[in-house]
Amino acid sequence: MASRILSRSAISIFKNVSKAGRQTTAPFSVGAVRRDILDEELKKKEAPLVTVDSGTHPHQAGVTITVSGKEYLAPVTGIPEEQVKTRLVRIFKPTRNTMQSGSANTHHWEMEFDGRERWENPLMGWSSTADPLSNMKVPFASEEEAIAFCEKNGWQWYIEQPKPTKSKVKNYGINFAWNKRTRTSTK
Amino acid sequence: MLRAPLHRALSLPNLRQLSPAFRNLSTTSAQLEKIEVFVDDKPVMVEPGTTVLQAAAMVGVEIPRFCYHERLAVAGNCRMCLVEVEKSPKPVAACAMPVMKGWRIKTNSDMTKKAREGVMEFLLVNHPLDCPICDQGGECDLQDQSMAFGSDRSRFTDIQFDGKRAVEDKDVGPLIKTVMTRCIHCTRCIRFASEVAGVDDLGTTGRGSDMQVGTYVEKMFLSELSGNVIDLCPVGALTNKPFAFTARPWETRKTESVDVLDALGSNIVVSTRTGEVLRILPRLNEEINEEWLSDKSRFACDGLKRQRLVAPMVKNEKGELVSCEWEDALVSVAKAMLRAGEQTAAVAGGLADAESLVALKDLLNRLGGEALCTEHTFPQDGSGTDLRSSYLLNNKIAGIEEADLILLIGTNPRFEAPLLNARIRKTYIHKECDVALLGPKVDLTYDYEHLGDDTATLKKLASGQHPFNKKLSAAKNPMIILGGQQFGRQDAAAILAAVQQLSQSLSSALNNKEWKILNILQQVASQVAALDIGYKPGVSEIRENPPKVLFLLGADEGTITRADLPKDCFVVYIGHHGDQGASMADAILPGATYTEKQGTFVNTEGRTQQTQVAVTPPGMARVDWKIIRALSEVVGTPLPYDDLNAVRQRLTEVAPNLTRYGSAEDANYFAQATELSKSVKTQLASTPLDVKLKELQDFFMTDAISRASPTMAKCVQAVLKQKSSKY
Repeated sequence: MASRILSRSAISIFKNVSKAGRQTTAPFSVGAVRRDILDEELKKKEAPLVTVDSGTHPHQAGVTITVSGKEYLAPVTGIPEEQVKTRLVRIFKPTRNTMQSGSANTHHWEMEFDGRERWENPLMGWSSTADPLSNMKVPFASEEEAIAFCEKNGWQWYIEQPKPTKSKVKNYGINFAWNKRTRTSTK
Repeated sequence: MLRAPLHRALSLPNLRQLSPAFRNLSTTSAQLEKIEVFVDDKPVMVEPGTTVLQAAAMVGVEIPRFCYHERLAVAGNCRMCLVEVEKSPKPVAACAMPVMKGWRIKTNSDMTKKAREGVMEFLLVNHPLDCPICDQGGECDLQDQSMAFGSDRSRFTDIQFDGKRAVEDKDVGPLIKTVMTRCIHCTRCIRFASEVAGVDDLGTTGRGSDMQVGTYVEKMFLSELSGNVIDLCPVGALTNKPFAFTARPWETRKTESVDVLDALGSNIVVSTRTGEVLRILPRLNEEINEEWLSDKSRFACDGLKRQRLVAPMVKNEKGELVSCEWEDALVSVAKAMLRAGEQTAAVAGGLADAESLVALKDLLNRLGGEALCTEHTFPQDGSGTDLRSSYLLNNKIAGIEEADLILLIGTNPRFEAPLLNARIRKTYIHKECDVALLGPKVDLTYDYEHLGDDTATLKKLASGQHPFNKKLSAAKNPMIILGGQQFGRQDAAAILAAVQQLSQSLSSALNNKEWKILNILQQVASQVAALDIGYKPGVSEIRENPPKVLFLLGADEGTITRADLPKDCFVVYIGHHGDQGASMADAILPGATYTEKQGTFVNTEGRTQQTQVAVTPPGMARVDWKIIRALSEVVGTPLPYDDLNAVRQRLTEVAPNLTRYGSAEDANYFAQATELSKSVKTQLASTPLDVKLKELQDFFMTDAISRASPTMAKCVQAVLKQKSSKY
């Protein structure tokens, strides 16, 4: 299995190299061995189908890739360095819309980037932004997940804890209390 | 009965320190007898008296409702929350029915579904099908609930003959648009008006299909909290008039921010689209604004687009302000600053954020200038602003609910901080708290004992000779709220000293040592942060030593005028609106409003909060602290911070509480402040205590943003018109 992965990566290197070779005037010579591997690999369509009951499932076979230490993907995600280092993420629980009584869409955590400039586009009058992350709102099940995601991607973050709400005792009878200020006049 | 011995135990002197713990014990003993009920077969333990609807909410089952609202009294008239309870022959109204032991509530049974469909069918028979042109569309409870719980077909066929029920629209002022045909008679607006706003203007007339919600005679809804009925209305009967037909809720970008138009720092959501602030909604924060928002905070947002300073300006030889490039403006300001050297001063206005405050202070201090003042004053005698407890609302806004006696001195909280007043009213109604007022007689929306407006009364109170002192010392949790406006008086120090001494004498006799008594209600959003950073309150220092360069950081109240300054004084205005400050400036550096910057604000209870960037500053305007940072570069003493984090690092250095967002730190040293206040030499003047904002029309336009707002201007006009009407 490991050798297969290796060979695939070798091919991807080869592919890139050959692409580059085509563009330059002096093509990079490729060894015959690699051509063999390529032919062999191209014959295979996809990874071989493994049935779980056969007992050879990759997870059961113990072929999992574990990364030791903290996961830090910022250098390899392809996100420009400027967008990693200068951004501040707010992790929060969305608030309920006070226009409505339902509490849907408020039970998850969300991340949001600091606001960047928007301007009116002179062509159509639409609003433009140069911020690729302005529309990135990722929902999470818990704050820990959100933090882990930010750390993995190298963004600075801060948490806004939701404000606790107290439940009040509701009582229909106090509308008619004879000695309390809660008594309501007939309306 | 059980509580009697506990009370006796509390009165024993040796147990006094334990009293808070004991109080908790007494409440928990009442909570212990929880009862078990089953919601959709899920067991849940609830306190006795919990309603079916609340019990269901505990296990995450939301029962549909229209008339029920957590912050209003139970009405039980919409019947949407009907649910089946096992062994009950009829469905019960979940919002009003307290649960009984062992009840099995079925929120999804056939009977429940049928009841909901029936109610929904009746509602829709009398509701117009105008969702496509309704402003509530997209955030309408009726729309959502008819999709989720309604029937998929209608038996209503009478459209050709009688037609649908139609009701004439009401005119309740320039803020609320009414389409009364859409009203489903939930009476939330009526309950809000009479319970929270304390204005009994709304009600119902007629019965059956002739029932109408309205004001009976055509009249404006005269309340400073009127906008909240827009949020409360579950349908599109009451909608936002300035926002009408502007945008759909799903098109807008929502930014969670903080309001700065009063000293409370209400939490808001700013809805924006295409670089414009379209509307502002409240955001839930139990500690500050609960779920409400004052009309100024909600509707003054159109002032954010008017009268804006969009380009730097410098005065030319003719004395006219001419717009120019940033470079030219910064260079001419820097030249003036270098010429003035130490003789540089600054006045910070009420809307300044902590970042720009600290940047301006650092810049001026580097050049040797020490005269940095705030527009709003505070007495410097006694402990002055050294002890934080002297200028904070120490009990916190939520703490009002625990008070049993509130003494307001020289303040009209109804218009200075409408949501604080709503809290007092809530406590007045639900906790039977009593209120007294020392100051001009104003309408606070609740009954209070008026102690007059004489300073002699204050003197008597401080020395314990007034009849009201008996009530104060009998109270368990008394609270004294002193209006920040009184610090503008000549005898401010004496007033503060008297109030401090009164509070301290009450506090020493109090069982609950945690309870604070002294509270200051500040007037503007920036004051507490400015004092924390080390600004001097009041502009007297600048009057005494006129500077050569004066910075106005959004100072628009006219506390310093051209007449106070020498002719050659170079005035620099950093701010966002062309108001009083800009009109007297020699150079204008356009800044950002609270919706355009990530800024730190500390509210009157000392709670640090931050605004978020919702839109970009218009034109060439920039974020205030960045302007000051750029200026420092031109002057030749660059400030050591380049980004927001670094400025906030600096804020933390100056006062660590300024970056602990969301939390309000307790202040202390009351006794020491009182000791120092005894050294105050000032005597109480005989002029009676007065407040600026007495009537509703005074409330709407109080700062640069609300003065620029056409909606606020309309409100003032409408209120004046209403006042002259015979109703």
